[in-house]
Parts: sequence; C-alpha cells; structure tokens
Amino acid sequence: MTSGIDRRRLLASGGGMAALLGLGVPAAALAQAAGQLTMSYPADVPTWDPNARSLAAVQPLYKMIFDQPLDQAPDMSVRPALITAWRQLDDRGLSLQLDFRDDVLFHDGSRMTAADFRFTFFERPRAPVPEGGRRLDTAFLWRRIRDIEVVSPTRAVMHFTEPMPSAVAWLHFLCSYMVPKAYLERVGLDEFQRRPVGTGPYRLVEYQQGSRMVMEAFDGYWGGKPAIPRVTVDIVRDPTARVASVEARRAHVAIDVPVREAVRLGTVRGLVSRIDPTADIMLLQITRNGGFAQDQVRLAAHHAINKEAISRAFFQGHARPISVPAARGTPGYPEDFTFPFSEERAVSLLREVGHGPDRPVRITFFTTNGVFPNDFDMARAIGQMWRRVGIEADIQTIELSTYQERLRANTLPEATMFNWGNAAGDPEMYGGYLLDPRAIFSAFKAEDLRDRVAALLVEPDQARRFAGYRDLHRHAAEKGYTIPLLQMVRTVVHQANVEFVKYDNGWVLPQTWSFRSA
Amino acid sequence: MALLALQILLRRLLVAAPIVLCVSALVFGVLRLLPADPVSMSLPPGATEQEYERVKRELGFDRPVPVQYAIWLGDFFAGNLGNSIHFRRPVAELVVTALPNTLELVFVGLVLGVVAGVGGGLLMFALRGRPAEHAADLTATTLMSIPEFLWALLLILGLGVAVPLLPFVGRLAPDIALPPAITGFLILDGLLAGRMPAVGSALLHLVLPALALAIGLAPLIMRVLRSSLLEVILDDYVTQARLRGVPERTILLRHALRNAALPTVSLIGVQAGFMFGGTVLVEVIFGYPGLGNLMVDAVRNHDLPVIQAVALVYCLLVLGINALVDVLYLVINPKLRSA
Repeated sequence: MTSGIDRRRLLASGGGMAALLGLGVPAAALAQAAGQLTMSYPADVPTWDPNARSLAAVQPLYKMIFDQPLDQAPDMSVRPALITAWRQLDDRGLSLQLDFRDDVLFHDGSRMTAADFRFTFFERPRAPVPEGGRRLDTAFLWRRIRDIEVVSPTRAVMHFTEPMPSAVAWLHFLCSYMVPKAYLERVGLDEFQRRPVGTGPYRLVEYQQGSRMVMEAFDGYWGGKPAIPRVTVDIVRDPTARVASVEARRAHVAIDVPVREAVRLGTVRGLVSRIDPTADIMLLQITRNGGFAQDQVRLAAHHAINKEAISRAFFQGHARPISVPAARGTPGYPEDFTFPFSEERAVSLLREVGHGPDRPVRITFFTTNGVFPNDFDMARAIGQMWRRVGIEADIQTIELSTYQERLRANTLPEATMFNWGNAAGDPEMYGGYLLDPRAIFSAFKAEDLRDRVAALLVEPDQARRFAGYRDLHRHAAEKGYTIPLLQMVRTVVHQANVEFVKYDNGWVLPQTWSFRSA
Repeated sequence: MALLALQILLRRLLVAAPIVLCVSALVFGVLRLLPADPVSMSLPPGATEQEYERVKRELGFDRPVPVQYAIWLGDFFAGNLGNSIHFRRPVAELVVTALPNTLELVFVGLVLGVVAGVGGGLLMFALRGRPAEHAADLTATTLMSIPEFLWALLLILGLGVAVPLLPFVGRLAPDIALPPAITGFLILDGLLAGRMPAVGSALLHLVLPALALAIGLAPLIMRVLRSSLLEVILDDYVTQARLRGVPERTILLRHALRNAALPTVSLIGVQAGFMFGGTVLVEVIFGYPGLGNLMVDAVRNHDLPVIQAVALVYCLLVLGINALVDVLYLVINPKLRSA
C-alpha cells in the first residue's frame, strides 16, 4: 500500500501542482517550509488571557507564549524558570521569598521584573470586575496571598493570610503565567487578548479562532531560542480529522488520537505512536444521593469495577488502574494500597443491605460523550459490570457544562464519569480539592474529612503533608467516598523526523522538540 | 424589472420581520427552558453566593423571561448581541468574524452543487430511455442517501489521506499568512491584497468541505431538472421548434431548460437554507472557522448569547436566500413580470 500511495501521490501532486501553479501558488508553498512544524490539536483557547480560565486542555498552548514562574521537567520534578531560587522565610509557611532571573524579556522587548510578578499574582486578581465581567480564576487560586512585597527587581516575597504549602506547586500549575504589567495597562485587556505578549519561547503571530494559531520562535527567549522556528497549531476537534492530518503528513504531530488509531498508525512507516499514562485521572464523582446513600452500595460499586479489563479494552492496557484519586508515582499515592476488584465482595456488600442481582439498587449515572477518550464507552462497560452484581444504572449523557452547573447546585446524581487534571502532581490538587467538603470540586461532601483536609491544606512540613494525603486518599477509598478508575493516557502520533520529548504529566511542548537531521 | 425586483424584496422584508421576531422568541424561550445555568458558566471556581447573585443580576437572568427577551430584542436592534459567556468577547465580533467564512463555504458548495446538478440533470435527460440512465439514477440516489458529515469523512480519507490530493484542515496552508482583513471574506481579501498564494490556498482548502455540501445537493437538482425537462419537452412550442428545424441542442438549452429551471430554482432556494444547517458538522470536521464551529462551541459551553445570535443569523440567511430566489424567478420567467 505504501508504494502505491507514493506513485499515486507523485501523479496527484504533479497534476495538482500544475493546477496550483496556474493559480499562482508557488511550488515551495505546497511543501512544508523548512523548520516549520504543524501540530493537530483538539482544543482552542477560550481567551489569550492566561490568568483567566483554568482549563487543563489548553495549558500547553499557553506555555508556548507565556512562562510560569517555575517549571517542571519531563519527570514532573520542579525546576527553576523565571524564578531561580525560593525559600520559606518562617516556620509557619506564611512568607515565601522568590528570586527572579534578570535576563527575561517580554515579547515587546521590555524586561521582566518582580513588579510584573506582583501585578500578575496580586494586583490583577484583586482588580475590580467590570459589569458583566468574570473574575480571573487566579483570584480564587491565589486567594491566600495577603500581599506580594517587591524587595528588588529580582526579588519578591509572597505573604500569605494562612500557610499555602502548595504555593510552589501552584507556581507551575494552572493560570500561573507571567503577564507584562506595563504593556497590559497601556493597551488594555481587549488589545492584550488580540495581541498577547508573554515571556515564552514563542510569539503569537497569527490567530484564527477555532481554526489555527501560528507562532514564531522568540529570539530573546531567556532559555534559548527553540529549535523549531515556526509552529502552526491547527485546531482540529474531530478525532478522525486529526488522525487523517498526521497520516496524510499534513501535520507533523497529532495529539489525542483514538487509542486504536494510535496503535494502527504506529505500524505505518514514517510515523511514531506514543500511548502514555499521565498524571491526570479518570474517576467517578459520587454522591450520597439516592441509591448511593449507603456505604455498602458505594463500596460494592467500586469492588465491582474491573479496571484492568477496562484498560485492556479501551486503552490497550496503557491506562494504569488506580485505587485512590491520585496518579501512581505522585507523592499522594499510597503504593502499598490496592482496592481490589472482587465481584464476590460486591455481591456480599449489597446483600448486607438487601440488594443483589435479583433485587438491584437503581441509580443514575451521568457521563460525558467525547469529552475525554472513551468516556461514554467506559460508562457503558461499568454499567454492565454493575448489573452483574446488582446495581442497575440509568446512564445519561451530559455536557461538561451541565456537570459544572449540577455540581455547583449540589444536584449531581449518584455517579458521574469525570476526569481530573493535575499536571503538577501535588496531592493537594487531588484529594485536597476532590475530597474537601468545603471545596466546589468535591461532589461527595464527606464531613468527617473536613478537619483532616483543612489541616493538610496548611501543613508546612512537606513530608508530613504528603503522608497525610496518602492516608486521606486511602481512607476515602476505604470508606467509599470516591471511585477512582484509571490514569488518563495521552496519545501522540508524530512523524519519525520529529524528536519528541515526553512529559509524564502529558504536556506537549513544541519548544522542547526538534527535527531529526536526515 | 428592477422596480419589480425591489417591490418583491420589500415585500419579503415586511414578511421577514414577524418571522424573525417569532424565531427569536422561540429560540430565546426554548433556551431559557433548558436546564442550563449560564450564570454558573460565568463564574470562576470558589465563587460565593453573593458573586453568583451579582453576575445573575448583571447578566439579567434575575428578571422574568419576557423582560429578558424585551431587553435582548432592544439591544439586538441597537446592534448589541451581548457578550459571549465562554469567550468573554462581544457576540457580534464573533459572528462577524465567522459569518464570511460560512458564506464563502456555502457559496462554493452551492456553485459546485448547481453546476454538477444541472450538468448531471442534462446528462440524465440526454440518456433517457437508455440503460445508462438507470445507472445515473442509481448513482444519484446513492449520493444523496449519504449525509454531509459522512461525505466529509469519506472525502478526507479518500482525497486527503489515501490519495493526498487536497488539504482538509482549516483555511490556509501552515506556511501561508492570513491576508489583511478588509472585507472578512478570505478569498476576496487575498485578491484585494494581491496575495495570490493565499487565494490559491484558500480555494484549495474550500474544495473538500464544499464538495461535502455539494454532494447532497447535486443529485436532487439532477432528478428534479430531469423530471421537469421530461415534462417540458412534450410542450407544443418545443414541437413547433422542431418543425421549424431548430437543432435539438438549441431547443434544449435555449427553450426547454429555461422553463424547466423554475422548479429547480425553487429547490435550490430551499436546499441552500438546509445547506447552512449542514455546515455545522462539516465545519467541525474540517476545522473550518465558520458559524457552525461557533455554534457547536456555544452549545457545548451553554453559551446562550452566542446560540441565540447564531440561530437568528441562520434565520436571516434563509429568509435572504428565499428573497433572492423570488427575484431570480422574476428574471427567468417573463410571465411573472406582467403578472
């Protein structure tokens, strides 16, 4: 098939070339320009204000234009970026001193200073919200900041109202991108969103909403100019079109292609396929409502799910089953704990409360369809597994926006298929938010966890904090407050001449890639 | 005739006003009945109850639905379509950016569909009575049995991947810059700016999505035109023309086709309206930045202001096309001018 395509492609290209030359399209424009990379990406940014919305799917796009104060290595370890060093100034964790690089330039040529840091993380979140406007997400994420003291152009001290032990993690997590105070104040937000300026390795030179973004390497980047001088990101929501784009060599890289297609494309000459677990997780957000009011039913529901089978069926075995709501290998995962798959145990638990396959407990099970890979299919498979033990689930498809509305209104049904992003890997971003009954993200609202989580949110000793979260996660699973499923997988298919750098948290960063020389 | 055309357009305008009002009220009401909470979508995580109430008040969602509608209608006539909840930008700006792309796509799709349909209809008529006619009929039936979105996928796999002849993502090749936005129509802007590579690339990128739309239209035109021609060819004036020695080809193209075109023109008008609806999935599949893509984003995010605006724009487009079809009728059929 490959040689046939080459012959046909040659003939077709010849005919097409002749037609296009007639239209004035130079031959050079038909081939990919040297050094230019095209990436087929499934999501678009809602806004070019990187502090506005904490949407995990678009963080890699923001990271091309903007920098976070700290960075993560491919193995998720924290490393300096705009910040070169950091230390706590007191035992209680109320003051965090940060030292900045003195050689960082914004894309407009202005130099980054600690004043920009204060503007980004303190002034902007507290600025008045225009009528009909929306507060920045950083206002909530950094709500514990009392002030940011600018000691010098390269030093600042963050002062907190209460300890924020996850502050260092948040400095390389959602929304935490440095923006230029002078430029933003001069041009205003509307113009900034049209022409965003950051310190990142690429400048945005063209943007067509819902279609594509073109970025060029920034000569003055503090980390050195990226190896790939120009990147075009095609926004391609349809997974078939993303598969087709890389298979037709229209794109060098395609992100989040269906797992089966990733496996197939891996056998195509000239393409490399990667299917890797990330730090994001898939879980069931459960409540005490309706049929899940009793602990035994929820625990039975968890025991009845064969996560290995789901991984094999839908992810070719690449999705790692998890027993707690955290990714394996992160500090919050208790590696010595396993929540076993056991239909016998599930049936026994249900029998304790008068249910079973002949007298099933009925629940409602929400799921999205196409929001994340195999969400709907997994829900159906879980529904089948539950039916075997005596849980009858009415599966209903919802939009993600419906989930958020129902979560806020506390009207979620017994179970909802959900995915949770945590590129930082910090356990606070897992259980600290998912299990805190006071948190908007928590569906279950387990009051017995309130004080436990509250203590961990302000625990300054990292080792104690991590141990505490491991215990919390284990406890939540044992009590049936959560039903974690699997770690998410990220599929990437790229042309063989692309030197791709894999990040354990699933980031796809063209600034780290290069073209392999022939 | 120009005066007559103007009268028709004005009459259509008068009729359109209540239709637009009804559609806008219907869409507005249905969206408010849905169990969606756009206020929640506007809020960051951790928003307090006070903040929820503030945003609800500012967005006008605390008022009765009829009052909300009246406010929205007033703003609409003042050219203010509100702000997108998801994108935090004026809805008018989003629509004005996306609309020209969809119009270009539908225009090219219509042209392709009409050319292929008329050509195919004439061919089928020429093959009447022969076995090849049945084969053509079967082909036409098969073509129109497949929905546009499936054609989109088949075209990508066929002409984009298996034989990579045509591009199928976005509007331009990666290494071709957008021409300056003068009219908003990419091809026109490219021509005005003298950027022929952009024009060529934009046309190439239009082929597959436009074909996906055209393939649904062409077979319908073929069959209707052929049926009309079969009726018209039996009329007395055709027989007389033959008796006068007029060549068959001239009879067909100059006399019969003009009369047979009337039902076809009506069909094109109706189908053009449907074609706008067909762009929704086609644009998503091809990553094409038009109204369809915008609408899908809006529905996913419960972005009510955008859904309302785009629905209304679709309504206006269909009404506009119907008005144009009426004028075209006038041009084709002289009897209507004296009537």
